[in-house]
Amino acid sequence: MSGALAAPARGAHLLLVEDDEAMRGTVAANLAAHGYRIVEAGDVAEAIRRWDAERPDVILLDLGLPDGEGTTIIRRVRREATTPILVLSARGAEPDKVAALEAGADDYVTKPFGLAELRARIAALLRRTAGPAADRSGAIRHGRLTIDVARRIASVDEEPLDLTPREYELLRTMLSQPGRLLTKARLLRAVWGTAYADEGHYLHVYVSRLRRKLAAADPDGSLRDLIVAEPGVGYRVAEPP
Amino acid sequence: MGGLIALVLALATIVAAFLESSVVGILDASPVYFVAVVVAGSAFGTLPALVTAIAAFALYDLLFTTPHLTFVVSDPKEWLDLVLFLVLAVVVGRLSALGTERAAEASRRAAESSALFAISRILATEPDIESAAPQVAERLVRDGSLDRIWIISERGQRTHVVADSNPGAPLPGSAIVTALVRTPGDAPAHWVRAHEPRPPEARPAEPKRAADGSRIAHGGSILRVRMEADGVPIGSLKAALRPGAPEPDRATTRLLALAADQLALAIRRDDLRREATEVEIARRADAQKSALLDAVSHDLRTPLASIRAAAGSLADPEVSVDAASARSTAAAIDAEADRLDRLVREVLDLSRIEAGSLSPELEPLVLADAVGPVVDRLRPILGSRRITLSIPDELPPVRADAVLLDGLISNLVENVARHAPPPAPLELSASSEGGRVRLAVDDGGSGVPVAERERMFEKFQRLPGAIEGSRRGLGIGLAIVRGMTEAMGGTVSASESALGGLRIEVDLPAAAAAPADATPVGTVAPASQSTVR
Repeated sequence: MSGALAAPARGAHLLLVEDDEAMRGTVAANLAAHGYRIVEAGDVAEAIRRWDAERPDVILLDLGLPDGEGTTIIRRVRREATTPILVLSARGAEPDKVAALEAGADDYVTKPFGLAELRARIAALLRRTAGPAADRSGAIRHGRLTIDVARRIASVDEEPLDLTPREYELLRTMLSQPGRLLTKARLLRAVWGTAYADEGHYLHVYVSRLRRKLAAADPDGSLRDLIVAEPGVGYRVAEPP
Repeated sequence: MGGLIALVLALATIVAAFLESSVVGILDASPVYFVAVVVAGSAFGTLPALVTAIAAFALYDLLFTTPHLTFVVSDPKEWLDLVLFLVLAVVVGRLSALGTERAAEASRRAAESSALFAISRILATEPDIESAAPQVAERLVRDGSLDRIWIISERGQRTHVVADSNPGAPLPGSAIVTALVRTPGDAPAHWVRAHEPRPPEARPAEPKRAADGSRIAHGGSILRVRMEADGVPIGSLKAALRPGAPEPDRATTRLLALAADQLALAIRRDDLRREATEVEIARRADAQKSALLDAVSHDLRTPLASIRAAAGSLADPEVSVDAASARSTAAAIDAEADRLDRLVREVLDLSRIEAGSLSPELEPLVLADAVGPVVDRLRPILGSRRITLSIPDELPPVRADAVLLDGLISNLVENVARHAPPPAPLELSASSEGGRVRLAVDDGGSGVPVAERERMFEKFQRLPGAIEGSRRGLGIGLAIVRGMTEAMGGTVSASESALGGLRIEVDLPAAAAAPADATPVGTVAPASQSTVR
C-alpha cells in the first residue's frame, strides 16, 4: 500500500478479476496501453493467490465467478488492506451492488461500460488513496468547496454555507471519501448513527436540500452536480473540476 | 277426514228424515245425500267420495226404504231408485273429486313451474355459477321443504362445494344415500338406496347426528341427484330431508331433477367459457411472444449486423486501416452497442414487470433530483430542442422506488426522443394535489389520436407516426412506464398537450413532508460566522 500512495496513476498495479476471457483480454489490453500494469485472474481462488502474491493498488472485480462469489474476495482483502475495489456489475443487480459496497467495495461500474468511464473510475480511486482527505490544516478541499473540519464550517470561495447539522455531516462524510460510492446505509450510519430509524427514511430529501444550498451558493453551477445519485445504490461525489 | 264425512252423512240423514217426515211430506229425499258426496269429493278426492256414496246408499237403504233397518227392499221401484241413486252418487262424487284434484294439480304445477322459472332466472342472470348456485340452493330448500341443499361439482378427482344453503356447518357425510334414478324414456324417476362410492365431502367425524341431536337415519335422509351435461358428469345435487320427513313427493322429486339438469348445464357452460377464455389468453400470449420475437430479431439484429461488419473490416488483413478510420469504425461499433444495450434493457425491464418480480422499495424521493439527471443523461438522443423543466421546490417528496422512478422517467423521455423529433419542444413539469404528485411530460410532436392513446400503453404498439427506420424502438417503452408506475401504486394517462403533441401524466403517491432538521450534531463550534445552525 505505502508504495502505491506515492506512485502516480500511471504505472499503477491493477488486479483484474473477470471470468470471461474475451472481456478480460480486451480490458487488460486497453489498460496496459494506458500505462497500467495488469495482473489477471479468472476465479476466486486465483484472485486470492494473486492478491497475496502481488498486493495490487486497485482491484477490478467481477462479482459472478465460476468458483464463488466476488464478495468473498472483498471480505478477504478488507481483512488485510484498504486497497480500492471497483466492482464490475451487471445492470439491474442493485442489491448485489449494495451488498458488495457494504462488504467493503469502493465503487462499481455497470456492464456494459465504456473503457473511458472505467479508466476515469480507476483514476479517481487512485487519487483517493494518493492523499488524505483533509490537508494539514484540517480542511477538506474539493474545487471551490472547502470544509473546515475543526470549525465545522463548509464554504464556497471562502463564503460560508448556511447548513443544518445533518447537512453538514452529510457533506463532510461524502467529501472525506471522494471517488467512493457511499451506500445509503453507510451514509445513515455516518450521519445519524444508530438512531436514524425515523429521519433516515428522508435521506434523499436531506441530500436534495443540501444540493439546493450548494447550487444557490455557486451561481456558475459547478457545484450543482457535485453529489451524484446512483439510484437504488447510494451517492458519490463527483471529481473536482 | 272420516269424522267429517260421518258428520256430513249424519246431517244429510237428519235433513232427509225431516223432508220425508209428515211435516214436509216429500216422498224421496235421497238427493240430499248427493250434497254429502259432493262435499267429500271436493274436499278429499275420488276414493272418499266413493266411500261416501256407498255409505249414503247403505244409510238410505237402511233408514228410508221399507222395511226399515234392513237392507231388504220390498218395492222393486224403490230398488230401481236405490240403484239409480248409487250410480248417480258415484258419478257426482267422482266428478266433484276430479275438479278438485285438477285444481290442486294445477296449483302444484304452477308452484313447480314458478320454482323452476325462478331457478332458470337465477342461472340466466347471475354472471357465473359461483354466485348463482347459492341462490338456487336457497330456493330449493324453500320450495322443496328440505332441510339443506348443497351442490358439489366434480372435475376428475377434484371436488368442490359450489354452494351450500347452510354454509359453515359441516356437511353430513354418509356412505349410504337415497339416490335418484332417472331412466331414459318415459319411466318416472324413482329413489333408491345407494352406496356413495367416495363421499367427496368426506368428513369422517360424527356424521350420525343432525343439528337437533336426533339420529340421522342411516344415510337414507341424504338425497343425491347426479348432475350431467352432454354426457359429461358434472357433480351432484344433494339434499338433507327434514328430520322425520318421508321420501320426497313427485313434485319435489321433479323439482330436484330439473334443478340438477339446469345446474349441470350452467356449470358446464361456465367451464366452457373459462376454457375459452384461457385459450384466448394463451393465444394472445403466443401472439405477443411472436411479436416480441419479431421485434427482437429485427431490432437486435440490425445493430449486431453493423457491429460485425465494422469489426470484420477492422480485422481484415486485406484492408489497410489508418488510425482515423479505425477510430470512426470503433465509434460506430460503440454507438450500435449502446443501442443494443438500450433494447436489451427494455426487454429485461418488460420481462421483470410481466414476471411480477419488481419488488419496489418505496421511500421518499425528490422528483426534481430524479428528473434532472435523466434529462442530462439523455440529452444526446434528444437532439437540439427546447427542454423545459418546471418542478416547484416546494413539491412534496414522492413515495417511489429510486431505480423504477429513474427507469420510468428515462422511458418517458426516450419515448419523446423517438416519437417527437427535434425541434419539437419537451417539457417536464410537476404538481401536487391531495396526497398525490403528478409528473407531466409534454412534447410538441405530432401527437397521438384519442382512439390510439389507450393502446399506446400496450406492448408492441408502434403507432403510425413513429419515426420509421433505425431509431424505432420495440414498442414497449410505454408498457414499461405503465408497469413501473403501477408497481409503485401510481397511475398513468395520456392526453393532448398544450404544446401540440402528446402529454403523459404519471400520478404517484406523495410521501409525508420530511421532519424539520434542527437536532444539533455534536458540539457546534462557536464560530464567529456560525454556519451550522
